[in-house]
Amino acid sequence: MKKTAAYDQKRRPIKKILNSLLPFVSITCLFLLWFYASNINPDLVPSPASTWERLIQLFVKPVNKMNLFGHVWASLQRVFIALACATVLGVTVGVMIGWSKTFKAIFGTLFELIRPIPPIAWLPIIIMWFGIGEFPKILIVFIGTFMPIVVNTYTGIRLVMPLHLDVARMFNASNRQLLFEVAIPSALPPIFAGIRNATSSGWMTVLAAEMIASKAGLGFLITRGMDYFDVPLILVGMLAIGIVGALLAIITEFIERLLCPWNKKLEQD
Amino acid sequence: MSMEQKAGTRLIVKDVSKTFYQKKIEPHHVVDKVSLEVKDNEFLVLLGPGHCGKTVLLNIVSGLMPPDEGSVYLDGEKITKPNPKIGMVFQKLGLMPWKTVIENVEIGPKLSGINVKTRRERAEYFIDLVGLKGFENSYPHQLSGGMKQRVGIARAYTNDPEILIMDEPFGQLDAQTRYNMQNEISRISEHEKRTIIFVTNNIEEALYLGDRIILFTECPARVKEIYDIDLKRPRDMIDPEFLRLRKMISNNTDLAL
Ligand SMILES: Nc1ncnc2c1ncn2[C@@H]1O[C@H](COP(=O)(O)OP(=O)(O)O)[C@@H](O)[C@H]1O
Ligand SMILES: [Mg+2]
Repeated sequence: MKKTAAYDQKRRPIKKILNSLLPFVSITCLFLLWFYASNINPDLVPSPASTWERLIQLFVKPVNKMNLFGHVWASLQRVFIALACATVLGVTVGVMIGWSKTFKAIFGTLFELIRPIPPIAWLPIIIMWFGIGEFPKILIVFIGTFMPIVVNTYTGIRLVMPLHLDVARMFNASNRQLLFEVAIPSALPPIFAGIRNATSSGWMTVLAAEMIASKAGLGFLITRGMDYFDVPLILVGMLAIGIVGALLAIITEFIERLLCPWNKKLEQD
Repeated sequence: MSMEQKAGTRLIVKDVSKTFYQKKIEPHHVVDKVSLEVKDNEFLVLLGPGHCGKTVLLNIVSGLMPPDEGSVYLDGEKITKPNPKIGMVFQKLGLMPWKTVIENVEIGPKLSGINVKTRRERAEYFIDLVGLKGFENSYPHQLSGGMKQRVGIARAYTNDPEILIMDEPFGQLDAQTRYNMQNEISRISEHEKRTIIFVTNNIEEALYLGDRIILFTECPARVKEIYDIDLKRPRDMIDPEFLRLRKMISNNTDLAL
């Protein structure tokens, strides 16, 4: 027994180092594959070098008067505005249908019917109603972010521990206090998880919305690449989407950790 | 409705019964015509085997759950909902994971609208008394089982109840911690004189702490015997009289406790 423990302890750091190297290995492999593919057909698969050049050029000669950062910001701005509205409204609606049986009876079924419609499916009707300005795009992203926030808030409120409510009742808490002192705080971790889901879903939705009708944003950039057969531009756009998406995930998790320091699930990993 | 009562009696439980009805399961009769009295400033121990209905009885006494039959009277007034004069240390604690130790402890006065300064002072006093000074800003998940238990006790005291119910507060603790906590609770209750209803399934714990012990049957809970314990404090677990009482209660007990 003792021997194995010592053996494990010796081995563990090596395994740790190995594991921390593996991501770089897989990324290098992807790059090699990319190199290889670009040698076969450079028109359809531009090399990493020409993609990099295209990126630099995007700053020298902006597309539609905006460099890469401008387009990233255009997309992000739509997500942020939609997300802010969805958070305020989504948490309110989620709390109401989670807390009040009457609200659940009124809106529950309605919500279950609307929920399965993906935000993209709203595109045509929203464009027909509101045209192709800024508002309809934000509205579509709003739909995509609103749903996960409502669902998570609702679930969080439903899962409040009856024991916690009893504790507060023992101290003579009013209904209002049960909601604001117990139910809502205990639902904060699932609410934040909902906002995290909403952020990534919003990021995907905004790109789809921009690909249909837009003059700015990363979605516009890759559609533009397709229209002009500018494959390096498509790749630049896709890479930016991936990187910004990953950064958004990291940032939302960081905020979650900051605001819910008691959340063990986050602390452990 | 009110009730005649003898001087010195705080709480009267009169013929309380409770049965749970669930779909597809036989009705579960949990509390059977329990009657008992709690005297002012006594340390009353309710002793009974696990799952005999002690927690259900306490929920009824505290006003969290209505009885099927019978009533509970506090100072002659019938209890129909929780009353701030009665405090509870829950068996499963129910510390709120999103609150720090001090926020958990001060929740009672906070819910009654007492200002931050006053309630913080009170909370600090009891955090100190239960020996948790320095952990005010920790979260419950950072504490050991014994420390969480102390938070639960401090929280109940901070709301300044006249009657304090403790539901198997040391049930989850290891033997050593349990022994320390028994000493602590004995010390705290000397320091902060209250009427205490203490629930346990441990005979030694009951004898170590109680002025009076009410022994319950197994499920459904019925009052089996009432013992007045006149041992001097602090009590000695190997004192011959202690051992004699222990044997007597043990012989009178349903199944193994
Ligand atoms: N709300 C409830 N609904 C149905 N059964 C319950 C409920 N609460 C307790 N019981 C049952 O009543 C019995 C006694 O429970 P309890 O009072 O918790 O025992 P203990 O003496 O260990 O505290 C148990 O078998 C439990 O399953
Ligand atoms: Mg119990």
